[in-house]
Amino acid sequence: MKIPPSLQAIFRRFWDIAGGVSVRSKILGIVLGLVLLLGLGITVQVRQALTRTMAAQLAEQSVSVARDLAARSTDLILLNDLFALHRLLQETKANNQNVAYAFLLDTQGQVLASTYGESFPKDLLAANPIEPTEHHRTLILATNQGYVWDTAVPILQGQVGVARVGLSDATLRTTLATITNQLLLTTALVSLIGITAATFLTWILTRPILDLAQAAQAVAKGDFTQRVKRWANDEIGLLATAFNQMVSELEKADEIRREREILRRQLLEKVIVTQEDERKRIARELHDSTSQTLTSLIMGLKVMEGSCADLQTQLQARELRQIAIQTLEEVHDLAMQLRPRLLDDLGLQAALERLVKEWQVRHRIAIDLMYHVTQERLPDVVETALYRIIQEALTNVARHAQARNVSVLIEQRGDELVAVVEDDGIGFDISKITIGDGAQAHLGLAGMQERAALLGGTITIESEVGRGTSIYIQLPIPKAVEDETENYDFARR
Amino acid sequence: MNKWIRLMVILMPFWFLPACSSALSLPAAAYVNLDQRVPLPTPVNSAVVPLRVAVAAVISPQGTVESYTQLLETLQSRLNRPVELVQRRTYLEINDLLEQGQVDVAFVCTSAYIAGHEKFGMELLVAPQVNGETVYYSLLLVPNDSVANDLADLRGKVFAFTDPISLSGRMYPTYLVRQQGSTPEEFFGRIFFTYSHDQAILAVANKVADGAAVDSLVYEFFLAREATIGQKTRVIHRSPPFGIPPVVVNPALRPQMKLELQNFFLSLHQDLQGQAALRAIGVDRFVPIEDSAYQSVRELLSDLNATR
Repeated sequence: MKIPPSLQAIFRRFWDIAGGVSVRSKILGIVLGLVLLLGLGITVQVRQALTRTMAAQLAEQSVSVARDLAARSTDLILLNDLFALHRLLQETKANNQNVAYAFLLDTQGQVLASTYGESFPKDLLAANPIEPTEHHRTLILATNQGYVWDTAVPILQGQVGVARVGLSDATLRTTLATITNQLLLTTALVSLIGITAATFLTWILTRPILDLAQAAQAVAKGDFTQRVKRWANDEIGLLATAFNQMVSELEKADEIRREREILRRQLLEKVIVTQEDERKRIARELHDSTSQTLTSLIMGLKVMEGSCADLQTQLQARELRQIAIQTLEEVHDLAMQLRPRLLDDLGLQAALERLVKEWQVRHRIAIDLMYHVTQERLPDVVETALYRIIQEALTNVARHAQARNVSVLIEQRGDELVAVVEDDGIGFDISKITIGDGAQAHLGLAGMQERAALLGGTITIESEVGRGTSIYIQLPIPKAVEDETENYDFARR
Repeated sequence: MNKWIRLMVILMPFWFLPACSSALSLPAAAYVNLDQRVPLPTPVNSAVVPLRVAVAAVISPQGTVESYTQLLETLQSRLNRPVELVQRRTYLEINDLLEQGQVDVAFVCTSAYIAGHEKFGMELLVAPQVNGETVYYSLLLVPNDSVANDLADLRGKVFAFTDPISLSGRMYPTYLVRQQGSTPEEFFGRIFFTYSHDQAILAVANKVADGAAVDSLVYEFFLAREATIGQKTRVIHRSPPFGIPPVVVNPALRPQMKLELQNFFLSLHQDLQGQAALRAIGVDRFVPIEDSAYQSVRELLSDLNATR
């Protein structure tokens, strides 16, 4: 069956509203809706049935009162006892609270006596004409005082006159109003009970769900200790059990992941430390042994140059000395790059100043270093890491940035070390070069990130095409030497 | 706040329920404003003055209408003039109407004629003839199973009188009690008035009264119509004959009119319509009558007054 689009739209609109409210509102809505619908339905039904019954009763009563009046008034009319007639009408009205009016007509259709006294409603007389041959005639008249069941009865086959009685709907209306109000009051009371019951029901139903939602949020934030209580042995209880199982599994998986992470870090640290140590060793070797040898060689060649008479040999010796001097410089540079002795001997500031100076000379790019660190020497690992990170950053600038000016700022902010490397180069689109994408070209960035992460620090890169690049490095400074020893135990080995 | 407004809007149909709780919708035949009143029109005096015929309450008002309608209709067609039936509860009221000229013709009781004749010269017009006679009797009735065989047996019992001045219904039984040397109040346990003879008969038949004195004409007329009355009642005494209740006129009535009326009544038995009308009131025919026919009654009444 195909549902017309308009109906679909209505259904969708309904679902937008119904789906948008809370479970409490839904349950309340269902309960209230049903109670009100039932109350309304019953009220309408009862009113209709009551109206029918009472209208029929009024019609019957109207006939019986009119016939009674006709019978009792016959002799009085014949005897022309107007006072007794008047009294009879008054009694008829007094004895039956539904009687709105009663009057008697003579054979000419003139009013003999009426409950209205001297005056008489203008249109009432003509409202219910009757033939003498009729037994009776009942009509419903609409009046300004409500409906009236008007019955005309000919007295003695019309030979004496006509008795007319009007029964008002006042009782009917009062009864209807009373019944309606009672039913509505009952509906309101039941609604109130319904609201209470629905609220209780909602509480019972939603409490475990809200617990689950809260626990799920906590789990999402990494708190795997959360367990929910199984309130009832129903579907929601089942869900709670499943949820608890899931959290247990997640907890296990998280533990494994955490252990692996620790292992990975330990490994990485070891690699870095080993690398540093190796570099340090090679640098020292180059400095202490190779440099000495080369210096000896240079000295030897210089002596040879001075002592040798042969010009040809002399020139060759000078040339060789020049090569040796160049090699010595290169060895120096290499050692310096591998591990600046300054870093170990004089600290980060001196090492960085040296690095900057040499970098400027080599790449011919203006560079500016600002170093504001109150602590004289920082922990070894911090100094090494920051040095390597800045070294890598500058290498990247030289390689890709096409910058004209670079500034390096190192600042201590409480327990934190903040470094900023800024250039005015071409910049790049960060979204295209993410650190974690594992591409070979960005291993440098990844290395920086890893180094910072090992010490609990972060690196933030800000760049835009044509606007240069800024790298923010933030590293915590470990407090005490004991902690350091404990934390970076293997780093010293 | 917005939520509440929306809730109110949803519940809107319920607001109107109390308001419409007393509203009704029924198919009405017409609309009448009961408060828009006009004074009742005073009865217009029609150009044609109707002939007013009074019938004394010998039988009940309804019975009178049933019996006399045919007669009055015949009279109306013969005179070519509207005829109006006038009834009153007591004989004296009819006499008063006659005296004041508010009634032209009247069927009165014998004692009422004697009283009226004495007071203002009520004139005899004609008299009905029943079973060939122009006399009637007062009958003393008791329930059929009553042990009473004469008036003496009714001492201390409940007795129904008809009209206060009815000859057969009150005067004659009072006369009988006086002859016993008592008064009705002393003699009977309780007395009540029925104001018509048919009701007195019914009172005895239904044992509401232990005895009653009634007009023999009414009793026989009743017996002819309802046989059960004969089974329920028994006559224990019959009075001497009295002059029959006459048809009378106001002495001031125009002689021409009086003659016309006399002719009408006297010739009524001569055609079918008239005969039917006569049958309805249990009369053979109407005959002329003289005041002397009531002399015996007059004497009885003066006797009664003398013993008072």
